[in-house]
Amino acid sequence: MEVTNLSDDLMTKEVIADPHGYYRQLRAADPVHYNERWGGWILTAYQDVVDVLRDANRFSSDRMGFLAQELSQEEQELIAPIFKILSYWMVFRDPPEHTTIRLLLNKHFTPLAIERYRPMVKKIVQKTIQKSIAKGQIDFIKDFAYEIPMSVILELLGAPDLDRDKIKEWSEKIGVFFFIKADEPRRREIACEGINELVDYLTPLIEQRRERPGIDLISLLISAEEAGSLTYNDVLATCVLLVFGGHETTMNLIANGTLAFMQHPDQWEKLQKDPSLLKKAVEELLRYDGSVKSTVRWAKEDVMVGGKQIKKGERLLVSLSGANRDPQQFNNPDGLDITRDPNLHVAFAHGIHVCLGASLARMEVEESFLGMISMLKCPKMIPGTDLSYYPSLVHRAIKELPVILEPIN
Amino acid sequence: MSKLRVTVNHNKCVGSQLCVQFLPAVFKLNEKGQSVIITTKEIDQQSIISTAEQCPQCAIKVLDADTGEVFFPPAELEF
Repeated sequence: MEVTNLSDDLMTKEVIADPHGYYRQLRAADPVHYNERWGGWILTAYQDVVDVLRDANRFSSDRMGFLAQELSQEEQELIAPIFKILSYWMVFRDPPEHTTIRLLLNKHFTPLAIERYRPMVKKIVQKTIQKSIAKGQIDFIKDFAYEIPMSVILELLGAPDLDRDKIKEWSEKIGVFFFIKADEPRRREIACEGINELVDYLTPLIEQRRERPGIDLISLLISAEEAGSLTYNDVLATCVLLVFGGHETTMNLIANGTLAFMQHPDQWEKLQKDPSLLKKAVEELLRYDGSVKSTVRWAKEDVMVGGKQIKKGERLLVSLSGANRDPQQFNNPDGLDITRDPNLHVAFAHGIHVCLGASLARMEVEESFLGMISMLKCPKMIPGTDLSYYPSLVHRAIKELPVILEPIN
Repeated sequence: MSKLRVTVNHNKCVGSQLCVQFLPAVFKLNEKGQSVIITTKEIDQQSIISTAEQCPQCAIKVLDADTGEVFFPPAELEF
């Protein structure tokens, strides 16, 4: 095993604040590194990351199955609600179960299919910007970035009147389990509470749709259950996944992108002068500082990765943000260049688990920035702000982003 | 019916395998885990376009082999 001078502690204040700097050093010293503290391999080179993500035959996503092996029966019972729901999330399943749900949902999330939501997103963005201008100073995350994805996911579920604040609260509790606050000692109990509360809230809605189906995603899932291709657990868990996964990551993407522009105002001006660069700019923001830093896989057999022997059952932390700054793949990887092309980043992962909501997220981010560059000067941080991130291995999530917004005219 | 030309852009393909799932007679994966065309013979235009639509990356392009007219994706979807 190679020796690096880097600590294996991925949760220090420095690594959480600047994961890119840490992964840059790790990639240079030992791109397939066994991290004793985490108990698995950390992959930071683009080619290794892509090879693993595209190989679902040899690398499993069955997170709950592998977790069950680590826990006693008693420990498993303590977190039964987590198992009951998360075991059915397609993100944590392998083929063929993953394939059934993915193919069913995919047609509703294609680049073409999500276009029907664009006018709605445009309106929400306009309204949110006008409200924000009136305030002058806002917390960009709470007052702006959160509004857009939450409205969209509720629309997809055909339930715009659901209680957003409650959903946010429960989603945050679920997130405690594996995204945010890895330092929270009660994280499993908190996540169980969040899951139970969200399930109790969604169950009557599912039953209502069974009685009176609509054209929304819940009705679609129920009809697949009635046709025998999904189970009730699949339906319930997928509803939880859509609500939970549908807003947090996109919110962080809009916030991280805004911060990236604030640190590179020349790129903001470039986009303002030439809005036809919008789609390329969004790809670059995804690459530069996406909202998901890493994903986990388990070796299904003994396998070589980047010249290292990985044993069956060992886990791998696949660093998306590490791969996205690999100089072997990207010129000037630490620079923000909204004209970058090609830009085959891994912000949404690669392979069969590539983010279902990728096209939806792209469209929401496009419309957010199109709205902003048309109406606003590049946002400025409120002086004295001490920027900090939630301590998470997975999410790149700023806690608060207090900004001053000024209209162009 | 017009003769079709189908291409997969490897600067876009992320190996989601959705095209392989929907049309295994037309698409397969290469050694890098990206999609390549096996054959487009005897495949109807509608099936190939609805499969191309499934790609999250708009990596699959469907054209008229003679005129070069693009059937999918429309320009505004490309990124």
